[in-house]
Amino acid sequence: MIGALVTLAVIVLLLLFLVGIYNSLVTLRNRYKNAFAQIDVQLKRRHDLIPNLVETAKGYMAHERGTLEAVIAARNQAVSAREAAAKAPGDPGAMRDLMQAEGALGGVLGRLFALSESYPDLKANQTMAQLMEELTSTENKVAFARQAFNDAVMSYNIAREKFPNVLIAGPFGFHAAALFEIEEPAQREAPKVSFS
Amino acid sequence: MNFFEHQDRARRNTRRLVALFGLAVAAIVVAVYAAVVAFLMTTEAGHYVAEGGLAAPEVLVPVLAGTLFVIAAGSGYKTLQLSGGGPVVARLLGGRPLDPNSGDPDERRVLNVVEEMAIAAGTPVPDVYLLAGEHGINAFAAGRTPADAVVGVTGGTARQLSRDELQGVVAHEFSHILNGDMRLNLRLIGVIHGILVISLIGYFIMRAGGRSRPSGRKKGGGAAIALLGLALYVIGWIGVFFGRLIKAGVSRQREFLADAAAVQFTRNPLGIAGALKKIGGHGAGSRIGHRRAEEASHLFFSNALKKSFLGLTATHPPLDERIRRIDPSFDSTFPVVEYPPGERRAAAPEGALGPEARPAGRGAIPLPGIPFPGAAALAGAASAPARVAESVGTLDPAHVAWATTLLAELPAGLREAAHEPTAARALTFALLLDADPEVRSRQLEALGRSSEPAVATETRRLLLRLESLRPEARIPLLDLALPALRRLSPEQYRSYRTMVRALADADGRVSLLEYTLHRMLLRHLDPHFGAPRRKGVQFYSLKGLGQEVSCLLSLLARAGVQPGTADGGEEVAAAAVAAGARELAQAGLEPRLVEREACRLRDLDGALERLALAAPRLKERLLRAAVAVVVHDREVTREEGELLRAVADGLDCPVPPFLRAAEG
Repeated sequence: MIGALVTLAVIVLLLLFLVGIYNSLVTLRNRYKNAFAQIDVQLKRRHDLIPNLVETAKGYMAHERGTLEAVIAARNQAVSAREAAAKAPGDPGAMRDLMQAEGALGGVLGRLFALSESYPDLKANQTMAQLMEELTSTENKVAFARQAFNDAVMSYNIAREKFPNVLIAGPFGFHAAALFEIEEPAQREAPKVSFS
Repeated sequence: MNFFEHQDRARRNTRRLVALFGLAVAAIVVAVYAAVVAFLMTTEAGHYVAEGGLAAPEVLVPVLAGTLFVIAAGSGYKTLQLSGGGPVVARLLGGRPLDPNSGDPDERRVLNVVEEMAIAAGTPVPDVYLLAGEHGINAFAAGRTPADAVVGVTGGTARQLSRDELQGVVAHEFSHILNGDMRLNLRLIGVIHGILVISLIGYFIMRAGGRSRPSGRKKGGGAAIALLGLALYVIGWIGVFFGRLIKAGVSRQREFLADAAAVQFTRNPLGIAGALKKIGGHGAGSRIGHRRAEEASHLFFSNALKKSFLGLTATHPPLDERIRRIDPSFDSTFPVVEYPPGERRAAAPEGALGPEARPAGRGAIPLPGIPFPGAAALAGAASAPARVAESVGTLDPAHVAWATTLLAELPAGLREAAHEPTAARALTFALLLDADPEVRSRQLEALGRSSEPAVATETRRLLLRLESLRPEARIPLLDLALPALRRLSPEQYRSYRTMVRALADADGRVSLLEYTLHRMLLRHLDPHFGAPRRKGVQFYSLKGLGQEVSCLLSLLARAGVQPGTADGGEEVAAAAVAAGARELAQAGLEPRLVEREACRLRDLDGALERLALAAPRLKERLLRAAVAVVVHDREVTREEGELLRAVADGLDCPVPPFLRAAEG
């Protein structure tokens, strides 16, 4: 009788331990999902600034329609990638799409800024300066939010790969989450061009 | 009843609860034993009972041990789960944290109301969670201390209440936060869960017994097992029923008090009465559809479940009784609330600021049986120490108005900065910089050397905007930045913390005010990032804390000395400490001015840590002593006011902002 009870007690404790692991995985997963919301907010800010930027530039760079349209197209692509990723943060496919879209947007913006060097009137424009300043500051915020998200994803991934957590993770659908990294495209910042 | 009496009462209630729970467990153990004995009689193990009598040790001990173990394991598990504090409860109910920078108008409104209330109360701004899928009108506050409290609202609340009504609901929740009700609530959840586990086990045994087909070997063996399971299930169910009765008894009374507090905070009974009336008239009422709602039903603003059993297990008093206590003219007809969820409410003219919306001539509403502290107590009590002690944990519409004005007048961009994690860090650095230019340049140097040079630039930029800020805005801005800072990742927080401590270090020449401010900031953030929890109350007498008290009072006394006073101000400081000592005479303490070297800023940390573990009544006296020291020289600068508030915060006593005499 005693033996049976002790066994039962051990089983109960084991069950509680496993449930505890499950709960901690859920907590870590929630953490990275919430952390993605931060990125979402800043990316949205970035995306919202761009139409304004293009409008301002259009007035001065009428001949560069190709580039301007490319910017808008890249921006729209990035918006839909962002919305898809917001529905499934950490999903490898969604993250990859978002990274590519943001990278492309960054590249095209870089081209735009490089071009704008040749238009001193545009550079002198107050609105343009303000928008570029806000874009830069938003870049910093995105970087910071990305760092927090990646930290959270790392904690989650490590937790789910540890033993014995790995035994719970598989059957209960805790998939590995993907980090969010932007490859710095070569021309993110307006290069300093001097005509000496 | 002031804040300290509330805290005492909450702790007494906890003890009472534990006693009741113990009785319930004893009853359950007896019942389980009876059921097991009955079961055993039907098997060959029955000879144990036949031989050993009803208290056969071979049966008694395992059953006793087993039942107690199960209940302890169940309660322990749940309590452990809830040790994560408010956010755990909010997520349990399906809540989503709101981004402090949210642009959605409904969310923005809720966030603004919560911010104003927190600043007015002098507590950190709590995280706000939204139960988006819930159409009923309800709200909750959960957490262990004001520092890790969260406030939750349903989608219905965010969309369908006017600003005044929202403010009334938020004020009600804040009174729970300030009165120490939340910890008791969480404990109730944990404790009742243990009893629930018994019925779960019974359920499983019932299923197991039902499935096995007895081949007639034992006389009805399978049926006997099933019956045992049924018995356990019923016992567990009865236990849970009694648990709910306990919950209901404790929480119903508190709801009336919280309603009264809400009226006191806003001086606008129409707000909270309006919210209650809307609940009455709303199709979904205040019901929460989530399956976990029952566990947390006592945390909500209004009844989250459908009809209770004979009204006995209702966690909240009946709606019309609540409304009548606030608005005696209520005639039991609820307004028809028909807005389909998601549609904006019709543009009813609402007061832009809550306090201005109160009808003329309605002043303070005396509620039967509940004395109205605030105006009477504060005016009657002549001395400043008594006034401050009475104001702890309460607030006034004047404070709310002050908070609203402060937020509206903030220099451009500061509020957005406070809401966003990157900028919030720089903002807090800027706020923690010392006034002395030499110390300040040293601090900025330290920042520049840190791992992120961009932060130093941002700090300098924000510093310019802070030039015109009044001193009383520092603590509110720090409180405002907390929700954004809670969103740092643990690694980011670690580097942030190092930088904050570096600022406070600056060769130890930082002023007392900056030191207490940085301490306040970290104290509110550390628990969120996994710092070990502080224990409840460890000191019931101040006798063992003499050194700490002397240290605190000495630092306060010296901080108030004007530079250039004769003999370095030692005599003045000693007199100030003596004034503080008078407040502590009853506690049998005789604090004296201690040597400068005996008590440095670093020692203040340790001193306050220990003093924070004193019983509520002792803290009241401590606070009065601190106030006496500061007002001794009859000149309380605004910085000294902030110092008092920061020190009080270190003792877990939220003090509302000090309003200038003209502001009332």
